[in-house]
Amino acid sequence: MNVGKAVPYIDALERVDGSIGFTINLEFPGMLYARVLRSPSPHARLLKVDASRAEHLPGVLAVLTGADFGPDSDMELFYGGMMSDQPVVARDKVRYVGEPIAVIAAEDPETAERALSFIDVECEDLTPVYDPYEADTEGAPLVHDEYGTNVCSYFKLRHGDIEAGFAEADRVFEHRFYSPAAQQFPLEPHVTIASVDDDSATVWSSTQAPYPVRESVAKVLRLPEDRVRIVVPPLGGGYGGKNFVKLEPMVVAVARKAGRPVKLSLSREEEVVTVTKHPAVVTIKTGVKADGTLTARKVDIHWSGGAYADTTPPVARGGGLTATGPYRVPHAWVDSRAMYTNLPQAGSFRGLAVNQVVWAYESQMDIIADALGMDPLEFRLRNLIDEGENWVTGESMEDSHYKDLIREVADKIGWDKPSRSEGHLKRGKGLSVTLKSTITPSTSRASLKLDANGTLWVFASSVEMGQGVKTVLAQIAADAVGVPLEQVRIVDPDTSVTPYDMTTSSSRSTFSSGGAIRDAAHSLKSQLLDLASEMTRHEPADFEIADGFIRSKNPSGKEILLAELLQRSGCDELFAEGSLETEGGLDPETGQGKGSDHWHQGAGAAEVEVDTETGKVTVLRYHGASYASKVINPTNVRLQNEGNVVYGLGPALFEEIVFDDGRVVNPNLDSYPIPSLEDVPKHLTSSALEAPDAKVPYGVGENTLPSVAAAIGNAVFRATGIRIYDLPITPEKMLRALRAKQEYSK
Amino acid sequence: MSQELQLHVNGEPRSVEVGTHETLLGVLRDKLKLFGSRGGCNIGYCGACTVLVDDKPVSSCIMLAVQAEGKRLTTVEGLSEDDKLHPIQQAFLDHSAFQCSYCTPGFILTTKALLAENSSPSREEIREYLVGNLCRCGSYYNIIEAVEDAAGRMRG
Repeated sequence: MNVGKAVPYIDALERVDGSIGFTINLEFPGMLYARVLRSPSPHARLLKVDASRAEHLPGVLAVLTGADFGPDSDMELFYGGMMSDQPVVARDKVRYVGEPIAVIAAEDPETAERALSFIDVECEDLTPVYDPYEADTEGAPLVHDEYGTNVCSYFKLRHGDIEAGFAEADRVFEHRFYSPAAQQFPLEPHVTIASVDDDSATVWSSTQAPYPVRESVAKVLRLPEDRVRIVVPPLGGGYGGKNFVKLEPMVVAVARKAGRPVKLSLSREEEVVTVTKHPAVVTIKTGVKADGTLTARKVDIHWSGGAYADTTPPVARGGGLTATGPYRVPHAWVDSRAMYTNLPQAGSFRGLAVNQVVWAYESQMDIIADALGMDPLEFRLRNLIDEGENWVTGESMEDSHYKDLIREVADKIGWDKPSRSEGHLKRGKGLSVTLKSTITPSTSRASLKLDANGTLWVFASSVEMGQGVKTVLAQIAADAVGVPLEQVRIVDPDTSVTPYDMTTSSSRSTFSSGGAIRDAAHSLKSQLLDLASEMTRHEPADFEIADGFIRSKNPSGKEILLAELLQRSGCDELFAEGSLETEGGLDPETGQGKGSDHWHQGAGAAEVEVDTETGKVTVLRYHGASYASKVINPTNVRLQNEGNVVYGLGPALFEEIVFDDGRVVNPNLDSYPIPSLEDVPKHLTSSALEAPDAKVPYGVGENTLPSVAAAIGNAVFRATGIRIYDLPITPEKMLRALRAKQEYSK
Repeated sequence: MSQELQLHVNGEPRSVEVGTHETLLGVLRDKLKLFGSRGGCNIGYCGACTVLVDDKPVSSCIMLAVQAEGKRLTTVEGLSEDDKLHPIQQAFLDHSAFQCSYCTPGFILTTKALLAENSSPSREEIREYLVGNLCRCGSYYNIIEAVEDAAGRMRG
């Protein structure tokens, strides 16, 4: 058996010898290089875009502008992963600093870059709106005039009688928490290469979502989807930033115009205006009885979605759905409103939407526990949902392990033992728990081919972005069919050969593509048993398949290699298809229904040290835990569980995109640091809980990430008595708060 | 302005026509097709472009190619011998000291320089030496373990 074993990445060799083929390495004969002219203004009417001087420069093959999308155009201007609200290039208006106005394709990158300054642009500035509350007021500037509102997406949840719930409470608490924009920051930037003919297109792209990209490209080029092929090499990191369509529309459009393949890879300055984490303000009001029982929770979330929808609708839903936490809340009310603003579009970010709400509800849980004089662990245990309990969506929460998870992290951090502070170095411990949905409903398909050499080919469209999905799917396929791991080959996503998969996101691939593979394996095995039956005149049920052999269950125990079975049957190959489709959905008015096929569960515990002279917060120790149901590969699970924690340290302690009049001030690492070895806790550990009889693996994905900020914030409070409400917890904020506290106590 | 440049890459002399403004990273990737060196931030902060110049780790994205004339350059492609992985590569493989692995060649080359200076570094010394190499996936723990293991293997 391979499932459960810490087998190395199946592509480990090419990862350590440097030969792995990222999209950024690809080159094609006759390939041109693209550069993008971007808006200097956050909000303006475009009066003129004149590219004629640039078009005539030697080495320039094509310049794409809004004028290419007139009434007679063979291309469609608008596209979008969720809503068709985004123009390939701006035509009438620009809506954020950095929005593409023109794309130049030239013989070399320098020529393309130089040609940008030969495009004449005139615009008339309009009043911008950045703040999601301001955008949500009557008379605010409209980001999209034609919609008549800045509301991009609105999720509602209504459960019980909220006013009655507050009336039952002995104490009511209300707080507001803030999370700023942050960068996904994959080290490999977004890269797209497109080759477009009159009636077909091939695109190589660093995307997490080959099929949604195919849909957008087909729409923009006005081609049937089966004339568009999307090929996805392994990604040099994604973290949600490469989810759904990004550069592909502008690259295919300029490639069609140029008549030659075109490559665009973004600079860091362009990365930060291509996608960000959603800034969010979460106002949370909670009613509680004197004994610590929650009675009601009302949450208002305002997300800044930026100028275009991107994945804002699932963010508003995913954050709104989970905003009351994995708790027993008899009366709940959530308004999750995502607004268009004049900022770069916000999209998926590792720990999608849940990072922002966990920061709010888990910080508040500690505030309430402190006010009631209760231990934060006891207070949580009193309110966390149990196995099979009904939750705020009205659904029964099967397979709930939140109590096990929080006990696990508390135990591992030594919750019982107080931290020891010395002088100006104050120490404290903090806890946090996370619940997260997976996209529901969703579909993944997979197919398997067993050839006469005994090689098992796996076709699935899950994107390898470092999470090790190829290895995990190979382990699942090997066991599901009964062949050695070495005989399994995973085909990289290519929509002309690998079947439909919704996206590689939402911590879903192990579960969904893995499930589709098991389904296909079932069909493949019955074909193999039938072949054996035909050859021997025994019943199919008389045989079993394991280790690449098919063997008779009768005492003779005769066995032959699967390859030999195919050869002797005159069969070149066997092919089988499988799928996994989940069902569910919520009532749009009440948020009642089935929110998630299964729930992702995580928890974290931190011990921090705060230097009260400098304000610096150091995470000394961290334990992250997630519920895996069933672990496929302990090595990958540990990398995910601990990698999440490292990633989460950035937005918790220092990552924040700073805007000045809509312009990003800190696009690159000199002003936007990300966690390094210096920041990683000296003691970082993790665990993945399993159910002894689990049939279906959930995968661990992002589960340990959303707890990081709140676990640290709660530890900081217990160390210093300082509560920070707005991330990140920087030394400046800590010092200011420490000084204010000193002043107050005088 | 461009000139014929004599480079010494992975033990072999290479002659390339380069512009005086071109970075070493650009020449390694675009002219010599050595894609193991990678651009991340392109301002010398992330370490994905690390190569060894006379055995010292250098961010090739902020070094001009012309500055490398006459110096010994080592990229990840020059580490294995007779198709056998370098012990540091083998340790990174055995410890799965990566996720997406975009940063891995940079970590491996910096580790090579570390171990040449200090054959048994402490965890603290490993952290300090590798602080200029960033792994956004967050595989730092496996990396530290791989470096410790590689040091052991190379001491024999």
